[in-house]
Amino acid sequence: MPSSALPALRAWWKRAVPAALLVLSSSALAFGVEAPKLSGEVDAKGLADAIAKNKGKVVLVNFWATWCVPCREEFPDLVRLEKAYRARGVAVLGVSIDLPKDMAKVEKFLSASAPDFPNYIKRVGGDDQDFIESVDPKWGGELPFTAVYGRDGKKAQVLSGKQSYGSFEKAVKSLLR
Amino acid sequence: MKTLRLGLALLGIAAFALPTFADAPAIGAAAPVFDLKSVDGKPFSLADAEKSNAYVVLMFIATQCPYSNGYNDRMRDMAAAYAKKGVLFVGINSNNTESVEETAAHAKQHGFGFPVLKDPGNKVADLYDARRTPEVYVIGKDGKLLYHGRIDDNSNDAAKVTSPDLKNALDALLAGQTVSKTETKAFGCTIKRA
Repeated sequence: MPSSALPALRAWWKRAVPAALLVLSSSALAFGVEAPKLSGEVDAKGLADAIAKNKGKVVLVNFWATWCVPCREEFPDLVRLEKAYRARGVAVLGVSIDLPKDMAKVEKFLSASAPDFPNYIKRVGGDDQDFIESVDPKWGGELPFTAVYGRDGKKAQVLSGKQSYGSFEKAVKSLLR
Repeated sequence: MKTLRLGLALLGIAAFALPTFADAPAIGAAAPVFDLKSVDGKPFSLADAEKSNAYVVLMFIATQCPYSNGYNDRMRDMAAAYAKKGVLFVGINSNNTESVEETAAHAKQHGFGFPVLKDPGNKVADLYDARRTPEVYVIGKDGKLLYHGRIDDNSNDAAKVTSPDLKNALDALLAGQTVSKTETKAFGCTIKRA
């Protein structure tokens, strides 16, 4: 190959690879095989920013973990609630409290649950007490736990322990009025 | 205006939608006394335990909660070490999903040398407003609550603990000092109430 052809080949490669990846990922989405992924790590500030980005919506933040049976039991209700109330201005954010060593379990759980809302994992480091208190001073750290924010971005209600679809719905409905 | 204030106050109360528990005892207040049976059938009276020990450590624990199980060895070792100093550790299982038999087998499997009580109907968990496992309470001879919260700040790895809060509290009390951190928090499993 003449040396003059190399830059052209490099340029083609640079364009072709991302395009191929895009096609592949689009195909995966089209066939519904794209597993929901974590949206990244959050600390207290990151979570506050994520909530603030949804200002104008009623935001329900659910704290869960794969090892927490009642968390796994109530999660399908959150998936259903988000689908039902998305158009009316409800956003759901999930925060996994799993440790990084359990990342595969988290991904598997999200893949099976197929939420249409972002899920984050709590960043390791720092004292968990600071994170817990940043969410709500009355929260003792029990899981599952849900905090509900009004359209003004202010926390309006917290729900401790496993909830039913009805209690999630009641919480968001009262803020949609 | 009075009606409006009352309405706002009620709204404020309703905003924290926890199940209806008794108020958690405050640090320095009297810890609620109770009588329960241990998983091996022996009666346990907190009032009696307070009289015969310098301090009593109540630990709400579980058989199936990974966060609680992360502390099995630490609870066993601390209970043995502090027994020599007049501190009685007591495990309480309030989960309605975990039977007496399962709780007894779990205690035996992990070599718990301390009494493990079963709390039918989670009445004691309600008295203390205990919400998660593990969650611990330290009570003095006079029946007052002296510490409430976590065992330490790392359920996953005892070697990486940076804040051994229960140990710090007990060591301070045994040395006649005041506890610097009387209330701490950690993640844990919700107590499965009846």
